[in-house]
Amino acid sequence: MTVPPAVSLTRLTYRYPGGQADALDVRDLRIGDGLILVTGDSGSGKSSLLRVFNGLVPHFHGGTIGGSALVCGHDVNTTATRVLATEVGFVFQDPELQSVYPTVERDVAFGLENIAVPPSAMPGRVAEALERTGIAHLRDRAVATLSGGERQRLALAGVLAMQPRVLVLDEPLSQLDEDGARSVVAILEALAGSGTAVIVAEHRLDQLGVLGGRVLAMHGGRVVDPVSRAAARIIEAPMTPAAPYTAPSSVAWQLSGVATGPARTPLLEGICLEGRDSEVVALVGPNGGGKTTLLRTIAGLLVPLSGRVHREPGRVAFLPQNPMALLHRATVAAEVAWTVRGDPPSGDAAMLLAELGLAHLAHRDPRDLSSGERQRAAIAAVLAGQPRIALLDEPTRGMDTTARDALCRAIHRLRSAGSSIVIATHDRNLVAAIADRTVAVGAGAARELVPVAVA
Amino acid sequence: MNPRALAAWSLSGITVALASGNPVYRALVVLCSINVLVALRRPNVSLRGLAIALVIAGLIAVTVTTLASHTGDHAFLVLPAAIPVVGGALTVEAALFGASSGLGIAAAVLAAAPLSLVLLPNSLVDALPRALARTGAAIGTALNLIPGIARSATEIRDAQRMRGWRPRRVREWPDLAVPVVLTALEGSITLAEAMEARGYGSGARTHYSDMVWRGADIAVCAVAPAAAVAFVGLRIVGVIADWYPFPDLSVPPINTFGVACCLALATPALVWRR
Repeated sequence: MTVPPAVSLTRLTYRYPGGQADALDVRDLRIGDGLILVTGDSGSGKSSLLRVFNGLVPHFHGGTIGGSALVCGHDVNTTATRVLATEVGFVFQDPELQSVYPTVERDVAFGLENIAVPPSAMPGRVAEALERTGIAHLRDRAVATLSGGERQRLALAGVLAMQPRVLVLDEPLSQLDEDGARSVVAILEALAGSGTAVIVAEHRLDQLGVLGGRVLAMHGGRVVDPVSRAAARIIEAPMTPAAPYTAPSSVAWQLSGVATGPARTPLLEGICLEGRDSEVVALVGPNGGGKTTLLRTIAGLLVPLSGRVHREPGRVAFLPQNPMALLHRATVAAEVAWTVRGDPPSGDAAMLLAELGLAHLAHRDPRDLSSGERQRAAIAAVLAGQPRIALLDEPTRGMDTTARDALCRAIHRLRSAGSSIVIATHDRNLVAAIADRTVAVGAGAARELVPVAVA
Repeated sequence: MNPRALAAWSLSGITVALASGNPVYRALVVLCSINVLVALRRPNVSLRGLAIALVIAGLIAVTVTTLASHTGDHAFLVLPAAIPVVGGALTVEAALFGASSGLGIAAAVLAAAPLSLVLLPNSLVDALPRALARTGAAIGTALNLIPGIARSATEIRDAQRMRGWRPRRVREWPDLAVPVVLTALEGSITLAEAMEARGYGSGARTHYSDMVWRGADIAVCAVAPAAAVAFVGLRIVGVIADWYPFPDLSVPPINTFGVACCLALATPALVWRR
């Protein structure tokens, strides 16, 4: 007897409420067990496609759907998401917005309660899910105290406890450090090998590259002919390399014997570090190691507990991890214009929008954009107007390779014009492409990994 | 500890605190409640904020009553009668009545405090009757969003400051308030999406932690309400007397049964262990 595919889409079309065009147009797609990697540029329809698999599209988001979508034998058109939840697990991009209960153990049990798993069976399933995701030691911890990586694993545990036949993950690695990403990849490999259909949309293909599996490339809402892993590696081609490094000029910022940390608790101590004009410094290190704390201290948003922070006069641009902290004006163009409102008129803002591939989105509401597009809009909003110091916290989060390449070009241009740039990132490719110096931040200290090169 | 037993204890404490104006009984409820809080509060929970709030509330009660009520024979200061409301004699009686009122407020608040400082919010939600379980989960989830909203407000303020936002007029505050509200709404929608994806609302729910009644829980649930009922009964029949400093300043009357009822409220600290 032939086992029906976990997912079967036939002539599927979907248009969001008020949308001018179809967000999805899938002719024929069948997905069985094992791993499926969904790739494509920001806004290509990956998230919409993933949401079809558990019925969030169309039941949660509304809109018009046509054609047929069968998931585990259920017709998505007529089966509510909460019913599909017994078969399809979904891990969202932002782990902060997936926790329901304040403690780890209770949060993992939330889904089991919803699908009425007998109370006697719950403790075993909760324990197994915590064990598989490597967070059994966090069982009694408050969710609010977890790092981003731990929260992502908690979200995964909450879904695994429900023992889904299909597991869908929307950029599960975007906030994880390398170790965290590897451990999640290992979990996905094990699941895919044990008969679960694992469908992952992820820009960090280099880390998922260890997985053997099928790759679906998306473009303009369509599933392009399945591509091979080799083709996927082409998508992940190296970014624009840095221009030849020249010895930087004067000091733009300096930390001398700084101890700093949130809530007046030192996370980093004895930090002596400086950045110069026309220089890119990359801060690397594990989740929770203090990269963001260091950036906030340089920015002046966090007062050091001891030591001295010096910044040369000039505008300091700061990109927070959450781009939506920046974007609240009616259009992307208005957002950029607000940053440079006091500057003499120039074509810089328009050039930056074009450079980041946002020219066609300039008059769109930032909140209507995909996560990668939002990230680029936020970068345009902070980098406009040639800041003296630019501090970027995980700037490639949610970005496809094309957008990362555009970001690299923008950073090269800023560096050439004299800006001092500091980037906190987990993205190895970005570091290789743009960093003049690399500083490892973790275990309470900051340590220079690569000495300053001299041309 | 069983959340329902603790809720019964809290209700009993509030009842005793408010059933009599006698400061002696109120002070005993305060002491028993502090005892329970110190012995059973969650790790890393600080009582400092609560203590400061209660001291401020007590001072306000004493100040307002002293300034507004000019009754009593023992004046310690006379303000010019021309001053509206507060003009006239300030009396010891009024100050003591204010202190007794402040003590009543403190006793009631401290009796209710363990519901938030001893229990986790979800324990309280779990303790709701089955018919209210889904509503309770939604309320608990909404409460869980509050810290995130506070964090995003800080993040947005910092991001705007770095772009030169320096609010000087009230009309510039929407630059902060609007994104905070929009971000909170967007976060709520994402959370709702995540809850739906985890099967919320799919039908009958089961519970991870069914309420277990142990001997200590039963003891608390029996002793505290019994003490409250006895206290109210004795108060009604006049065995436990109320206290007013007017018209004559007097020492509050103390009754052994009343004291015993109040001390029975210390039961949780004796039988429960964290």
